[in-house]
Amino acid sequence: MGLKAVVSSPSPAFSTDESGAVEVTNVGHVYETASGTTEALTDISFRVETGRFISIVGPSGCGKSSLLMMIAGLVQPTRGTITAGGRPLVQPDPTRIGVVFQDASLYPWLTARSNVEFPLSLRHVDHKIRRERAEEALDLVGLAGFADKHPHELSGGMKQRVALARGLVQDPPILLMDEPFAALDEQTRLTMGDEVLRIWERTRKTIIFVTHGLSEAIHLSDEVLVLTSRPGKLVDRVSVDLPRPRSFEVMGGRRFEELRERIWQRIRS
Amino acid sequence: MNTATVRNTGARSIPAPVARAALVAALIAVWQVAPTVGLLDPRLLPPPSVVGPMIVQLFGEAGFRGHLATTLLETLVAFLVSVPVGFIMAILIGENKYASDIFKPLVFFVFSIPKSIFLPLFIFAFGISFHQKVAFGVFSTLFIVMMLSFAAIESVRRDHLVVARSYGATRMQTVLRVYLPGMTPVLLEAIRVSMIFNFTGILLAEMYASREGLGNVIEQWGQGFQLDRLMATIVVIAAIAIVFNETIRALESRCEHWRE
Repeated sequence: MGLKAVVSSPSPAFSTDESGAVEVTNVGHVYETASGTTEALTDISFRVETGRFISIVGPSGCGKSSLLMMIAGLVQPTRGTITAGGRPLVQPDPTRIGVVFQDASLYPWLTARSNVEFPLSLRHVDHKIRRERAEEALDLVGLAGFADKHPHELSGGMKQRVALARGLVQDPPILLMDEPFAALDEQTRLTMGDEVLRIWERTRKTIIFVTHGLSEAIHLSDEVLVLTSRPGKLVDRVSVDLPRPRSFEVMGGRRFEELRERIWQRIRS
Repeated sequence: MNTATVRNTGARSIPAPVARAALVAALIAVWQVAPTVGLLDPRLLPPPSVVGPMIVQLFGEAGFRGHLATTLLETLVAFLVSVPVGFIMAILIGENKYASDIFKPLVFFVFSIPKSIFLPLFIFAFGISFHQKVAFGVFSTLFIVMMLSFAAIESVRRDHLVVARSYGATRMQTVLRVYLPGMTPVLLEAIRVSMIFNFTGILLAEMYASREGLGNVIEQWGQGFQLDRLMATIVVIAAIAIVFNETIRALESRCEHWRE
């Protein structure tokens, strides 16, 4: 099934689609340090429905990235359970979840195309299909002409686009993004935000987006989860009721400011 | 603007490669002129006009070609043993925290000891033989290979490993497709530097006690005051070392952007 197929495939009418749902139940995380045990996350519970775009914000060190790594199956929580697509995760499952990391983390020895093909080649997907899918994914992120470039020939924004294409190439119903644009300049960050929204609207994947930018979170998401630190705790879920597409005027408006103020207050408390 | 900047712009008017070639040419010219005009005794330093033809003559002698072949074979065998063995040992040690804590300091201890002082022991153990030369070459090289391999393993970026894991890479896939290419730039450097230690070890062992090899003839012609032959051999050895080193360096620069 190609990326475009998702858009046209009808969702089952008899029940809500579980394939992209993420459920986090009573999750806690404790890690050992030289000075004893540290509680990084405590009693986190939330559910994300298929096709929703949610952001997780919080002060640095609140464990928002750790939480994302647990949803990705890269770190096991000390307590609680996490399910993706209705089934628990004991290890990373790239067919269910794609991950985009903070640094694009592309392999510098591979071309953009080979980087995108990498997840498929690990599963020994046929060479021709692999190439087709990679080209489709690069096309989706607007990098059709750059397939043969190496990462060192690409700008920071382009590298993140390649990483995004790599996350999308297996067409997972869930996409996790860990501060993906934190290292980019303001202008590129805004452009990339619009890109992600465009792709989300086309593919309707569930996206969980970790960021420290409050405006970015509000601009992108249906809902913003607010964490506080030490230990990381879920203190608020803010529904973003701004109409889409979110124009420049909406983003400067009164409702936007109210939401931003509310999130800011919750983080500070 | 500081003075350093001013000085730099002045010096840059001649391109570095041209300046470098000019410097080498000047040194060769001094080497030629100094013994010819009587500044140096030509018996102590035969000029290039004597050493050059001597190199050609040596390559015409079956005896010299035999010595050359012996040294190259010893060097090659020692290299082919020490590099993979050192690399695999480094992986076994580097992969495990406990093994690292035990063995890494020991490797550093042994590395710091001059290897030449063990030559007599190698003769007791192996006699004056091909095996002894190879064994000493391996001994000279193994520890630098291990130390540089530790650095190579550490040069692999953690986020590259996390990406592989998040896409479900098996252990073997991670080794072959992330560790190996990730280490390649530092590994090439390791190979290059290891060869310097290896070649030095072999030549030293030959100079100390041997029946054949380039180290043997260097020792022999030095003692016998045949400086034309000695200088010609030195130039041949230097050329071999430089060609190997530069070949690996060319490979290194080709994957320089892999370090990004």
